[in-house]
Amino acid sequence: MRVSPLLIGLGCLAAASTAVSAQSLAPGESGNRVPPARFVSAVDNQGPTEADRLTLGMWVTAGNVTTYTIGNSWNDWVLWLVFDKLREPSPYVGKAEPWLATAIEQVSDDARVWEITLRDGVTWHDGTPFTAEDVAFTFEYYREGPANRWTHHASSVPRMVGIEVLDRLKLRLTSEKPMPNFDRITAADLPIIQKAQWEGVTEPRSFTDLGIGTGPYRLVAYEADRFYRFEANEDYWRGAPVVKHLDLVMIKDPQTMFTALKTGEIDGAARPVPPELVLQWQDDADLEMIGAPTLWGAWLDINVGRVPFDDRDVRRAVTLAVDPEPMLERIMLGQGKPGTHAWPHVDSFWTKPDLGAPHDPDLAAAILDDKGFVDTDGDGMRELPDGSPLTWDLKIASNQPLFLRAAEMVQAQLAEVGLRVVVETLDPASLSALWRTREFDLRIADITPHGIADQDMLIILYRGDARRELVEDTEKAEIVRRWLEAETRADRLAISYELQEYQTRYPNRVMLWYPESTFAYRWQAYDNYRPSAGYGIFHKYSFLPDAVRTGVVDPLLDD
Amino acid sequence: MVWLRSVAATAAVLVVALIVNFALPRLAPGDPLSMMLPEDVVADMTPEQEARVLAEFGLDQPVAVQFWAYARGVVSGDLGTSVTFGEPVWAVVLERLPWSLLLMGWALALSALLGTGLGLLAARHDGRVGDLATTLAVLFIGSAPVFWVAMLLITVFSAELGWLPSFGAAPLTAFPGSAAWYWGVAERLVLPVAALALAQTAGVWLTARSAMTIALHRDYVTYARAKGAGERRVFLVHAFRNACLPIYTNVMIGVGNLLGGALVVETVFSYPGLGSLILLGVEARDYPLLQGVFLVATLSVVAANLVADLTYPLLDPRARR
Repeated sequence: MRVSPLLIGLGCLAAASTAVSAQSLAPGESGNRVPPARFVSAVDNQGPTEADRLTLGMWVTAGNVTTYTIGNSWNDWVLWLVFDKLREPSPYVGKAEPWLATAIEQVSDDARVWEITLRDGVTWHDGTPFTAEDVAFTFEYYREGPANRWTHHASSVPRMVGIEVLDRLKLRLTSEKPMPNFDRITAADLPIIQKAQWEGVTEPRSFTDLGIGTGPYRLVAYEADRFYRFEANEDYWRGAPVVKHLDLVMIKDPQTMFTALKTGEIDGAARPVPPELVLQWQDDADLEMIGAPTLWGAWLDINVGRVPFDDRDVRRAVTLAVDPEPMLERIMLGQGKPGTHAWPHVDSFWTKPDLGAPHDPDLAAAILDDKGFVDTDGDGMRELPDGSPLTWDLKIASNQPLFLRAAEMVQAQLAEVGLRVVVETLDPASLSALWRTREFDLRIADITPHGIADQDMLIILYRGDARRELVEDTEKAEIVRRWLEAETRADRLAISYELQEYQTRYPNRVMLWYPESTFAYRWQAYDNYRPSAGYGIFHKYSFLPDAVRTGVVDPLLDD
Repeated sequence: MVWLRSVAATAAVLVVALIVNFALPRLAPGDPLSMMLPEDVVADMTPEQEARVLAEFGLDQPVAVQFWAYARGVVSGDLGTSVTFGEPVWAVVLERLPWSLLLMGWALALSALLGTGLGLLAARHDGRVGDLATTLAVLFIGSAPVFWVAMLLITVFSAELGWLPSFGAAPLTAFPGSAAWYWGVAERLVLPVAALALAQTAGVWLTARSAMTIALHRDYVTYARAKGAGERRVFLVHAFRNACLPIYTNVMIGVGNLLGGALVVETVFSYPGLGSLILLGVEARDYPLLQGVFLVATLSVVAANLVADLTYPLLDPRARR
């Protein structure tokens, strides 16, 4: 990978800048930084920087490559091959660069009204010009239409109440409540769709036409859950991609995926290499690996809608009893960071830098004693205050062996303070459904960068949790209310910090670890990948010319 | 009258199967919404928003209304729209069906030939070293989980030897219908067929060995030998003709087992057949898709049994009475 020495050098600079002083921060800047990518292989080869065709393996279906059939952070990169955003690369790094928009300006003091000026000369894949009508339509469609992963940007946080086209390349958006980070979050996350293609589509999840975007690749053929074929958009306004054809093939089984990579049937595997394989492949002559910040996390979810978890002190005791440090070592083989920082993600731009979730089993035991959870029958396990047995279930997905190990460790740690936990495995779909049905005491699950590295989503998640709480937490609700009314970036960040501190003290989720995701590819086929926070190395920026991506993809490394 | 009874029984089975096919996906915890949208999105949705998404696929209706729509659809040929693919279920199923037929057809034929051949061999060497060796080998492979056998084949023939591709059904870059495409399809078929056939062979082998061993000790075999028939004729004509009846039944019943095995094999090899479609449907709680695939699977198994019932009299004259 040709850029890796540069990456490492810049990475050192970025790491140093993490300790940037509070005085040098602009209002609304946390000072928190995504760490640099890490070159993992022993040898840094010099492979081709262009390719005619690449075949990449993917494991989560991208549906029909629309915003309605993609919604997972493991496959949204497929969407970005076709579609662009107003600013890029993502809402996770707090610093987005102009992309489809050349200017996004706040025009009201209360941060409710913003004006967007669009880039002239951009065309859709069908050759028609990209205009303000398309952007206005996108916001209207997402506000009024069925929900998808991105619609909250128009219908919830923020909720748009005014969408006006001012001229061919300019529009004005007005929201119900202030949106001081519109340019950093919404503009950097919302894909813009073509009005001509989507107007009149009433059942978007059944829309199966080839999506027309403004992005660097045209989708030319697909069979959902089997393959997707893309061709370079030679007229891409940002410069023609350096990889001319991309074939994405679905390989769900991890062993088959990595075997196919090893044998050369695919050129890259768009799923993280398991920790044990990372060690095995470090000296492989055909493969290179990069540890890239994907901003994912694994958390222990506590059901606030069940007794006794409606009592925030009980939740605090659970948190104090869980020690994430040994989990990182034993389960992730040290590849990542322990979840001692609570959530949001420890490396997120929006995270309070010095936040910490302590491990203190003695304090946990004391809290439980105070609450009346004591061992009355002498079996070493506590009973409920009314004397009835205490047994909590801890549910995990059957396809997550790492979570099984984590569950066993949580079980042992909670047993040390006298809490009895029974581990249950469910099929993945049943586990996902628990988010809505709430039929669990504890569960371990993945959480995406969208969920833990985006300030707006933090509020959305808190608000969603509040609906399920047995007793309204007025203190937390007041913080959320103040956040929604805050008119400046600085106020929002400060209130977000309050929320994070509160959540750390009285959590309903305990972070277990933040994985470092390592990705592998065959350097002889293509050796010009570029890491981007939240996406890893497989995304459109890896296939764009160096001249146009530097400073955009990894702006934090360039600071 | 034999065929009339068979057809009536088949119709009854179909009706029950339709009800079960509808009920099974809904009995599992969860619903399509949980899989359509990520958790962090579902978290903030109001009940009205949830209902609106489910309404896109008619899943907001009472179960009785959904069943009526499903039953009407089965009759009229409209199986609804797949939640995962956004396409009519028939279209999705028909896209995958040829690959499954290819895979399962070859696996069925191969397992029938291999199982029968090895069974005959074992019966011929009953109690001797050849019998023991075959028994051990077949039982070992037959007892091994099919995913393990599949992974073993990938490790040996793809990763180590590099002889065969490890995934997919057809080369993406070759023009469909070209010689390169057909060659690519054939290459990609070898390992999945081998895995599926190996899993299926043990059952056929057990039946073949047992049936032949019994047949070889029957009076009519002794009589044939006594009247001077050659050993080959005794073995193939007198014994095997009688032993092939249970073998035939076993092979036809195996169609259902094959589908179960295909679910695993297609997933491991990323083979785009009905098996992997079932897994996808289960993961996504895609009710319409599961109903459609189950219907096809049901029809296949019922058809196989019906064919077995109807053709059995051709093999066994006693069944005509």
